[in-house]
This record gives sequence, structure tokens and C-alpha cells, in this order.
Amino acid sequence: MTQALHSRPDVFDTVVVGAGVMGATTALFLARAGQKVALIDREDMFRAASGVNAGTLTLHMTRAQLIPHAIRGREMWLDSAEWLGEDVGALATPGLSMAFTEAEEELLRQRAHVRQEMGAPIEVLSAQEAIRIEPGVNPTLRAAAYCALDGHIPTYRVGGAYARALRQAGVTIIENSPVEGICPVTGGGYDVQMTGRAHPVRGRRIVLSTGAWLEKMLGWLGYDIPIRCLINQLVVTETLPPVMRSVLSIANGLLSLKQFANGSVLIGGGWQGEGNIHQGGTRVIPENLRGNVRLAQHVVPRLNEAQILRVWLGLESETPDAMPLIGALTPDDDAFVVGCVHSGFTSGPYMGRLLAERILGGDPDLGAFDPTRFSSLPATGTHP
Amino acid sequence: MSSPDFSPVTVIGGGIAGATSAIALSRHGFPVTLIDEQPVAGGQIFRAPSPYARRVVPPNHEFSGGDTLRQKLAASSVDVRFSTRVWGVSPTLTLDLLGPDGIDQLPAATLVVANGATERFLPFQGWTTPRIIGLAGASILMRNGGTLPGQSVVVAGSGPLLFSVAHQVLELGGRVVAIVDAGHRSDWLRLGAMLSLDPARLTQATSWMLRLRKAGIPIHHRAHISEAQETEAGLLLTVTEMDHPERRHLYAADAAACGYGLKPSTLITRTAGVHHRYDPIGGYLEPVTDNAGRTSRPDLYVTGDAAGVRGMAVARLRGLITAHAIAHDRGVISTETYETLTRTPLRQRRRLEAVSRRMLPLMNAGSAIPAHLQDDTIVCRCERVKAATLRSAIQAGAEDLNQLKAWTRCGMGPCQGRMCEDSARGLLAAACGKTPEEAGSFTARMPFFPLPLTAVTGDFTYSDIPLPKAAPL
Repeated sequence: MTQALHSRPDVFDTVVVGAGVMGATTALFLARAGQKVALIDREDMFRAASGVNAGTLTLHMTRAQLIPHAIRGREMWLDSAEWLGEDVGALATPGLSMAFTEAEEELLRQRAHVRQEMGAPIEVLSAQEAIRIEPGVNPTLRAAAYCALDGHIPTYRVGGAYARALRQAGVTIIENSPVEGICPVTGGGYDVQMTGRAHPVRGRRIVLSTGAWLEKMLGWLGYDIPIRCLINQLVVTETLPPVMRSVLSIANGLLSLKQFANGSVLIGGGWQGEGNIHQGGTRVIPENLRGNVRLAQHVVPRLNEAQILRVWLGLESETPDAMPLIGALTPDDDAFVVGCVHSGFTSGPYMGRLLAERILGGDPDLGAFDPTRFSSLPATGTHP
Repeated sequence: MSSPDFSPVTVIGGGIAGATSAIALSRHGFPVTLIDEQPVAGGQIFRAPSPYARRVVPPNHEFSGGDTLRQKLAASSVDVRFSTRVWGVSPTLTLDLLGPDGIDQLPAATLVVANGATERFLPFQGWTTPRIIGLAGASILMRNGGTLPGQSVVVAGSGPLLFSVAHQVLELGGRVVAIVDAGHRSDWLRLGAMLSLDPARLTQATSWMLRLRKAGIPIHHRAHISEAQETEAGLLLTVTEMDHPERRHLYAADAAACGYGLKPSTLITRTAGVHHRYDPIGGYLEPVTDNAGRTSRPDLYVTGDAAGVRGMAVARLRGLITAHAIAHDRGVISTETYETLTRTPLRQRRRLEAVSRRMLPLMNAGSAIPAHLQDDTIVCRCERVKAATLRSAIQAGAEDLNQLKAWTRCGMGPCQGRMCEDSARGLLAAACGKTPEEAGSFTARMPFFPLPLTAVTGDFTYSDIPLPKAAPL
């Protein structure tokens, strides 16, 4: 397969650019359906958002409109042994979102209500009921929203599992190869050019699944969609005796807290770091580190016994309307995008599978995610 | 020459390089802050002994040299912050500190990193058994605590610390059961032939070797401990010859001290974003510096062993030269004065460095060991990751050290890979046919050591937390 990269270009049915959970799942299902697929990444696969996110499976923080997708995504993670071929260690737990002030309680009820309407089994509990479910939480809470369908995944295990599944399915994996250009080829298809490789990889169609790097690549195809890059902070503690068993958050969504089987506690919630994806390098903002861990300690007071082991930052991409981009980019149906899915890790495998279905000729409902919605480019023919 | 700039200088590390540099900088007229994690200055070699150690350990050069350094520092105008650790650094050189009064931030206009070296450890079957300690740790225990790691000790690994530790065991009345060295005997002889350039080392080495020979201690070259078992009587250690793996020697001992040379401590410099290079002879990553410790980042200097392991005598000279270079860069002294001040130190340093460089391959003599680790040997102690787990991840396509870390947790624990990085890199490089440099290095992350969560949170109420606005519905 590497031979093809050095001699005359071998034509792939689909070239997927971006080897995170979205792109890798799309590649996997296309290859299993018989396509010849190449999967390209700028560094090693699963090293960006898909390898460093909090691994929270939660409906509390998922956008209300995406609840049905998140439920399906969560089911796929829990069943990973079935479709991925390997159990990635996803654990189903309850999830509690807490309110400590009157304003937060109001927000909590409002957020719970819109999610219930979208099919999330969320109910608002009294403080006493919440403490019964999770005795370690701060007893000053006023109310908590309870969801039976939450959980978490040790994110680091996912990349290795995908690598084995993709190889078994015959996907050609090309790592450490930043894509620097995508050129349409006369007669159809695209040449994908990479830094440090003399020859492009040619595909009858392409899929862009490059998360925070989508803005630039969509630009090559004539799309001008401003994509905001969030730089989310995560904090992990040394191992502790059990202090919680559910996934915990607060009403406004700015905390995620869970304890893994090994005893370490992961503190996230989207507090921001600094950085620039084009110049590279991210860094922690000390006030945001303090704010994030204060919030965690407020919610679970026993975290005052914890030691902070590591702090890191991961990139999340967001469209102007905070809704995903999934679907065809050209009237010829030969270029596609999948990304910017809020709480994308939870829904990721399902979104990737939907795009694969669409490419293989199916007609899943992707209307709300149509990438042409931001531009005056001609409609793609997905929904004539 | 522009007008002199006397803005403050911050020095990290109160060992011989850092303390020498801080004192010299203060003599040039700079306000200097020296940060060190120990309660008093001295670093590793000149670490202050406990009162008990002063009674039981015979007087030696490290005690007297350390006392002199501490006296000079006390007499200087250097502002010292002891018992203070650096847990983070920003690109603008603001240091995150944890000291006796909790966390603090210190913006450094000019930063001198002199945080020394870290011992390289290579695993073997059963190395997590109690009573197996590092050579450097054993030396601290004996020299600065006056305590033997055991009455009978096998000393193993590579580099000159082997003979220093063996000598220290004898000094405290212990028994050295055997010395197990990964290096070639001929390399030691070649080094010996060069020692005329470094009379202090020659005298010390001669006295150690005579004493070890007189005690009749077996010395194995090109050998390593391949297995340790705990028995009722103590440790049972298997020593295997590297070129003849069928030749094995068994030793019973109370303890084993084992270490494979030193490597520069690079968490601070890597986080600060300075350019680093992999030194294939030393087998480690080091910041790229010029002969005065300047790095790729203006205002950040690295001196002493943190800039590449060259030993104590060179560290003192480097510290001095770096201080003069800063004075020169800031317009405090002329180029002519700089050249006058550094002529002798640079000449002495060139002579001593010839010997130090000859020691690097002896310290790195164990580099082939990780390739042959048995599958059930623990590589990462923090996360209990075995060699077999690493090999299976490599087979699945993890061909970079950070990918290997992500897929196996190797290096994710409290020590941040200080213990396992070298062996994981060696194993990965061998399995993929890469050079150690191509195999990569673990990304440095903050905090550099586990930080008590309450040191960050402090006293607060819920309303103090600046909650960002809610995520979209």
C-alpha cells in the first residue's frame, strides 16, 4: 500500500482527512462495505480532540437537538465490542447536574425540560434525593437533574481499538502527514497533497473530518464558514479512594466530574486555555485552572484530599450556530464533511456511521447539519 | 554598548551551577532570586548532610565544598527562596511556584535554569521489589543521611556513580557484594588514561579503586541485573552477561542500588519552548545551548548539568560563565571584560569537558537493555504497564512515544515518565527499527509534580468562582 504512494497514484474510493472518532468511524464503515479507503492525519491518529477529551457520555451537556444522536452514540460506545471489535471500557453511570443557587435551579429546570422533550430521561430531584444517589456531593445543593443514561469512557483506550479495527478492515492509514492542498482532478475525484510526501493520494471522493482545522480546508472547497476553536482545559488527579460513582456537572454545564476505575478523578467542563491552532501550542490560564478546580471541590468537598496530577488542553470546534456540519459539499456528491458536533465524542461514532450510510447511498436525516446552510452555494442534492 | 540593564534575574536550582551563577550575578550588581526545592542550598552533590551524617560519615570534599558554597551564598545579596518547587512555566517566563506558603507566581525577566540532572533507570524482572533503590538515591541516603540501604549491597548499572556508591557503602561499614557494570572494561581504561587532565578526579578514582580491589569485590563489566527475587534471607539477584546471556551469576544481598547514568532535567526548558536536541552519545534530550548557556529563547539561559551532563567541576565553571554572559548581554560589562573574565574558566572547562564527554558512553552503556526486556517486566511503575502491553500497542501502530503513552498509560502517572521514558523509548525504537531520537519524547505537562488541589483552590466561597456563561441549550 505504501508502494502506491510512491509510484503512480492508486485511486481510493474515499480519502478521509482527519483520523479522529468522526473520520475513523466513517472510514471503518465505508471499508467494511467494500470501499478502498485511505485515512490521513496530520499527526498520529486520535491525538487531537478524540484522544484528549474528557470522555463524558452525558445528555445534560449535549445540545437539546442532538439528544437522539447522543443516545445512539452512547449505545454504540457501550456496545463497542460488537461493532468495533473491542471493548473500549465505556461505563454506564447515572449523571447528576446540580444547582446551588436559585438562578441555577431555574436554569436547571429549563435545561432539563427542553431535554426531556427531546427524549432524554431527565428528572429534577430534591437535594435529599440527589444526596441519596451520590452521598459525596456538597449538601448545600438546592436541586439536581438526574439522567439514567450517562457514563464515561477512558478516552486513551479508544485510539488503539480503532487502529486495530481499521487495519483489519483494510483501511490505509497515513499518519504524520499534514494535508496542504486538495485539488479536483479532471474526470472526477481529488488529489490530496501532504507536506513531506512527493505524491498526492487520489480519491474518487473525499471526507473532511479535521475538527478545528475544518475552516481552512472548507475554504479550499469554496466554503467560508467561521469555525470557533475552543481550548478546553482538563485536570486529572492522582488516584483517590472512591469519592463519586456518577458523572457530575452543574446547571450551566461548566463542569464535568467523574472518577475512573483506577481511582483518578477527571475534572473538565470547558474552562478555556490559551492558544492558536495555526501557530501551535496551548497553555493553561492560571485563573481558569483555579476556577475549574474550585468548582470541582465545591461540588465534591472530598476532593480537598486530591493531588493534581496533570493539566492539559484539548481543541473543540464550533460552527456559528453551534450545530454540526455533516453532509455533502458538492453537487457532484464527491466531497463530504463531518465535524463540529457539540459533545462530539459522545455522538461521534453514530455521526460517522450516518455519514458512511449517506455516502453508501442511504438517506439518513442530516437536514439540520447541512453544511451549505451558511452559504449561498448551490444546494447539494441531499434534499432536493 | 547600550546602557546597562540591571533588571532582576531568577535562578532555578541551588546546586553548584545555580548557586555559583547567582553569586556571580549578584556581584555584577543584579538583583537575584534563587529558587530551590531543598531547605538549604547544595543541590545533589553538595547536598547538606544531616547532623547524624556529619557524625558517622568521614569528612569529605562534598561536605566541605557544600559548606563553602552555602557560606558564600549566605554572605551574598542573593534573595533565596528555599523549600520552593517550580510546577509550571509560561512562554513569558512566569514561574508557577509551590512554597511553604502555598502557590505563587513569579515573573522572571531573565531566567537561569540550573535544575541539574535526573538519574536514568532501566527496569528488570522484579525491580519493584522493596530494597531496590537508585544509585543516586542510595548516595543521598548514605552521604546525607548516614544510613546504609542494607548491610550487604549489590551496586549495579553504569557510569562513575557505581564506584562512588560502592565506596560509600564501605565507608559506612557495609559490604559490597558485587559491582555490576554495563560498560566495557576497556572504556574505563581509556577514561583512566585521560584522567591526567583532571587531577581531582584522578585522585578520587585511584583511592576508590584501590579500596574496592583491596576488599576483593567482584566487578562484572558488560553485565546487568536481569532479575531480582525476594527471599526470606533478602534479595536474590541474577546478573547476566550482556554478550553471553547464558552466563549468569547469582548474588544474595540485603539491597541493590541500581542506576544507568544521568540525564538533564528538561521539564522546565521543554515547557518554556526552547529548542532541544537528542544527544545520541549521552542517550538523552538536552536544551541546545551555546558555550555560555544561551538558548533559542532570549532571556532564558541553561547552565550546569541541565544543559548536558558534564559533572560537578564543569558545572561550577558553566555557572560562572553564564553569569558573565548575562552581564555582557545586559550591557553591564564590555566584550573585552567578558573575554578577560571567561578566558581561564573557558580554558579549564575545555580540559575537564574532554574527560566528561568520555564518561557519557559509560553512563549510557545500558542503552541496549530495553530492547530485550521480558514481556512480563513492569516498565512503568506508576501505571503498572508491562513490556508486553507496550509491544502489543506498537504492533497496533503506536510508533511514537506519545502515542504509546496514550494507548497504554505508560508515563501518565505521578512521575510523569521520569522513570520509564528511557526504557519505553528504547523498547519502541528497537521494535520499530527507529533511532531513539525518532521514537520521540513524552510531552512535558504541568504540574511538573503532583500538586495538592487545595494549594490551588485556597480558601473560597461559591460566589468567588467566576462562572462562565452557560453553554448553549
